[in-house]
Amino acid sequence: MPELSVSMGVRKINDEASAIDIKGDLTAACEDVLMDAYAQATGDRTRALVLNFNQLEYMNSGGIGLLVTLLVRANRQKQRLLAVGLNDHYQQIFQLTRLDEAMDLHDDEGEALTGAGIAT
Amino acid sequence: MARASLWQRTTACRILIRDEKERPLITEFEVPSEVGNERLIMDRVAEAIAGAITGEPLERLKTAVAEAAMNAIEHGNKGRADVPVFVQVLDSDGSIRVRITDRGGGGTDADPEIPNLEAKLAGLQDPRGWGLYLIKNMVDEMHVSNDGDLHTIELVVRSEGANR
Repeated sequence: MPELSVSMGVRKINDEASAIDIKGDLTAACEDVLMDAYAQATGDRTRALVLNFNQLEYMNSGGIGLLVTLLVRANRQKQRLLAVGLNDHYQQIFQLTRLDEAMDLHDDEGEALTGAGIAT
Repeated sequence: MARASLWQRTTACRILIRDEKERPLITEFEVPSEVGNERLIMDRVAEAIAGAITGEPLERLKTAVAEAAMNAIEHGNKGRADVPVFVQVLDSDGSIRVRITDRGGGGTDADPEIPNLEAKLAGLQDPRGWGLYLIKNMVDEMHVSNDGDLHTIELVVRSEGANR
């Protein structure tokens, strides 16, 4: 297997929201890393999770599949996924796959949290 | 004259060589079928067509090439590093054509289940399965062909400045 070229930093914003900073390539090979990050980011009171794509270098269909899996888990926990920092190309892919309807897209984290009704 | 590749020396590859004479060839190369090499193929294709397509159309073609290459590596050639993926890039009638060939027959399926996000979120479809949908929507034309044990997907994007 090739070496993973991704890192995911988890930041707790407050009791209701956390962020995952995705750096590098989001592919099917990232499943364990992404799900571990989700587990770290999630607490009993977590209502929103910000996925920060500012340092995303590449995402393929496998990565999109992982985001769908993450959405399923978040929906079960009644959590909202918020996406920030996607470039124009990946915004188009989110529109094509309709991921933009399932997770709100924003330019920055503050706007995303405000849109989700979470005080920062 | 450049040394013929392993695939060009096989009779099974005659159809590719015949087409090479009919259309201006920009580049061709082989890459071992190792997971992750779809990025290498994507970058080499982008480098080969520099200037002919730029900006978002280039990003769309790169995504399509990477997805098609991943299918060829993982499904067509079953990840066997000794079985290469063969790539041709041609300039044809104002279009760029990228052909990605594997030897499996299990590569890109021309007509798979259409992915539906609601169905996936409801557990009625696999969360994966976006590859071909992306490919079809990233290029102007997509053609899939089988010739013996060779399976080829051709991606077509009109070059900048070509009549639309």
